[in-house]
Amino acid sequence: MAGPLLSSTEKIFILHGVQNDYRSDGRSNIDYRPMELETDVVSHASGSARLRLANTDILVGVKTEIDVPKPDNPGKGKIEFFVDCSANATPEFEGRGGEQLANSISNMMQRAYHTSQAFNLKQLCIFEGKQCWKLYVDILILECGGNLCDAVSLAVKAALFNTRLPFVKAALMDGGNVDLQLSDDPYDSKQLDIGCAPLLVTLCKIGDKCVVDPSAEEESCSVISLVVGVTGNPKFYCTEDTTNILNVECKCSTIGMNGPGSVAPKTLKDAINQGIIAAKCLDEALGKALLRERQETIVMKKHSYGFLK
Amino acid sequence: MPLDFRRFNGPEDSVSYTRFTQDFLKSYDELHNELINKSNLRKDGRALDEARSMFARTDMISQAKGSAYVELKKTKVVCSVFDPREIPHQNEFSQLGQIFCEVKFAPFSCSRQRRPAAPDAEDKSLSVALRQALEPAVCRHLFPNYQIDVFVYIIEHDGACLAAAINAAGLALADAAVPMYDIITASSIAIIGDKMFVDPTEEEEHVAMISPDSENVNHGIITMSMLSELKQVSDFIQIGSMDTDCVIKAMDILEKECAKLIPNIQQVLVMNVVQNIEQQKKLEEEAKEREAALNAKLEEWKTLLNAG
Amino acid sequence: MTPEKVKEVGKICIPGMRLSLLNKEYISGPGTYELKGYIYATLAGVLKMEEDDKTKATIISVESPRTPSVLPKTGDVVTAKVTVVNSRLVQCIILCVGPSVLVRPYKGILKKEDIKSTDKDRIDPYKCFRPGDVILARVLPMTEIHWYHLSTAENELGVVIATAAGSPQGVSMVPISWSEMQCPKTLVKEPRKVARVIPENINQELFPVHNNPEEKEKETK
Repeated sequence: MAGPLLSSTEKIFILHGVQNDYRSDGRSNIDYRPMELETDVVSHASGSARLRLANTDILVGVKTEIDVPKPDNPGKGKIEFFVDCSANATPEFEGRGGEQLANSISNMMQRAYHTSQAFNLKQLCIFEGKQCWKLYVDILILECGGNLCDAVSLAVKAALFNTRLPFVKAALMDGGNVDLQLSDDPYDSKQLDIGCAPLLVTLCKIGDKCVVDPSAEEESCSVISLVVGVTGNPKFYCTEDTTNILNVECKCSTIGMNGPGSVAPKTLKDAINQGIIAAKCLDEALGKALLRERQETIVMKKHSYGFLK
Repeated sequence: MPLDFRRFNGPEDSVSYTRFTQDFLKSYDELHNELINKSNLRKDGRALDEARSMFARTDMISQAKGSAYVELKKTKVVCSVFDPREIPHQNEFSQLGQIFCEVKFAPFSCSRQRRPAAPDAEDKSLSVALRQALEPAVCRHLFPNYQIDVFVYIIEHDGACLAAAINAAGLALADAAVPMYDIITASSIAIIGDKMFVDPTEEEEHVAMISPDSENVNHGIITMSMLSELKQVSDFIQIGSMDTDCVIKAMDILEKECAKLIPNIQQVLVMNVVQNIEQQKKLEEEAKEREAALNAKLEEWKTLLNAG
Repeated sequence: MTPEKVKEVGKICIPGMRLSLLNKEYISGPGTYELKGYIYATLAGVLKMEEDDKTKATIISVESPRTPSVLPKTGDVVTAKVTVVNSRLVQCIILCVGPSVLVRPYKGILKKEDIKSTDKDRIDPYKCFRPGDVILARVLPMTEIHWYHLSTAENELGVVIATAAGSPQGVSMVPISWSEMQCPKTLVKEPRKVARVIPENINQELFPVHNNPEEKEKETK
């Protein structure tokens, strides 16, 4: 995407700021910009979330369907990610323009959710070898203001947190076929266990250091960025007493690089460590926000902002 | 996925027969235990930290500007590189040239399933990874608004195919005389629990990708490509789940493995230059001989004409 | 292959090999790049060291046995074939850059005002080029995608090989002035923007000015 035009002195100014851990908008190298998050915004989806991070606007809807599990993974469900870069975001996405970007993001998400330590697909199993839930996670990019990966992963985690799967009342074997009976009551449903779901953190290399959540100006100073997927901590997503839940260490679930440049091995190591720290803070904040929102919906009928805000 | 109706697609829900064999029903622990025998050697007799010896050669495909073939025991990869051409559907001026990569698996390349003819998600993600790895190595400012095509065909896949593809592409680019900042090498590692399998086979990769039940152990695959002289990482791809210490330890091992490949690649390139120069000399000599023969004939005819 | 054979060829370089220090004595030439005070190779080939006459510096370059995958650069002299002539511009396909032949043809465009350096407003492309002519031209900075802008506004640039209308194939015209060429067979004269080509194997004695200093010394003796 065409970034803002910066002169070399402006670039040096930004670079020096990053070197001193004090960026031009007052953040430190691991600070995010303020975000707005709202869940349950789409009525026809099983779960949904809308996230706005500075100028990036993401809408995620989760649809659930019933599918047959793969023969080599009979006890596991399926999850798939689709990214749609709408031409609303930038005219460049028109036609097939956004396809490459969409592919790379959905690829990254698929890779981050691959391990069962990040998202356990066993919870999507209905009847081993016969029936399972398939989650279609559709990610819509409404406005593109940089740092898409991070915003998408946050919105996806929030949407999955919001997702409700109906309880299966009976599964009758009818001559080899499975006959499912679901409850009519929409509130008779279970929630997904997404405590460990990974968050992606993009680290933009500027000079020898890396920054998270780069602004458009900072992005234009950098030739390479590193995307680190870090598994979450279920502790932050539980309302009950958290003492009996194991404190799971954050782990890398995926790492990838974006951009035409390269990095020195040492910078890469530092960046991974930095990404994990940033992801931890982000995960905690997201957990708090989601729990608070859930509380509000239960206690009083929360006023929905939708797209008006 | 949309079906390609120009090809014979076969029944949609066919499954490999191996699914009904004993091997398929093995549990994770069985598979895991099989990988290493009692004397700490892998199935093919290698030690854990021993990479397969790489065979590489250039000039495989005469039609291409440059080409290379890389073989890591059963992993076989062909790569060809073509001259810069116009970027189709481009409407923006770009100072830097582009590299277009396409990685394709042969339909019979994998042991587990037949590969579809149309590129699937794995093909695409490998293509993206390959481009990412090659971009920093090529002097792209020398061909603005044009793209260089790099095609990789994986004939047989027995693990570490991305690393093999990157090595092959690096050689093919150098063979095609595409200006490059540095030679590029890549290596991969599979992590299962506390064990690290350098240059894994397909079987080891498969086990590394399965997440063990309930246990919170490290598992996954890392592929890293490096520019040797500049000491830069051009691509780093990790998948699975592992803690930071493990990633960093694996990185150090991969860095060494990438460095180990360099003499081999250097030798291939030097031999390539020598061969090309010799070929050129031979052609020149032949041309001279032909010219001399023609001149002699001309003289002969001249004398005949003058005599007549 | 034996190591002796390798030695015969000369010093072989591969991409990323550090060749020398970068200073006043050593300049990086084709097939090399500069980084942090050193010269590195970008091609696999043979090392070549030439001395520049003017600055007395050594130009370090790497010569690949293959034609390098290079594109026309701004300032390069290219050989092109004219394909389309109209009243505003001339289109052509670029065949060679300097001494190296391109594998793929690239499109070039020669605007009316870039044909000659003098009398710019009275240039008529039809009186300078015809489709099929082989021309020498210089590459101007790139402003459009996929089109190289060319210029022939120099004495040494312009039409080199051309066939007159109606002449048999393979009979090329001979220049008779800056703006005219004549067919040796049919004696047809046609207007062209003629290039003054200095042949490479020109008789040195005809041009005493261009003689190198050593020979001059010999002459004086």
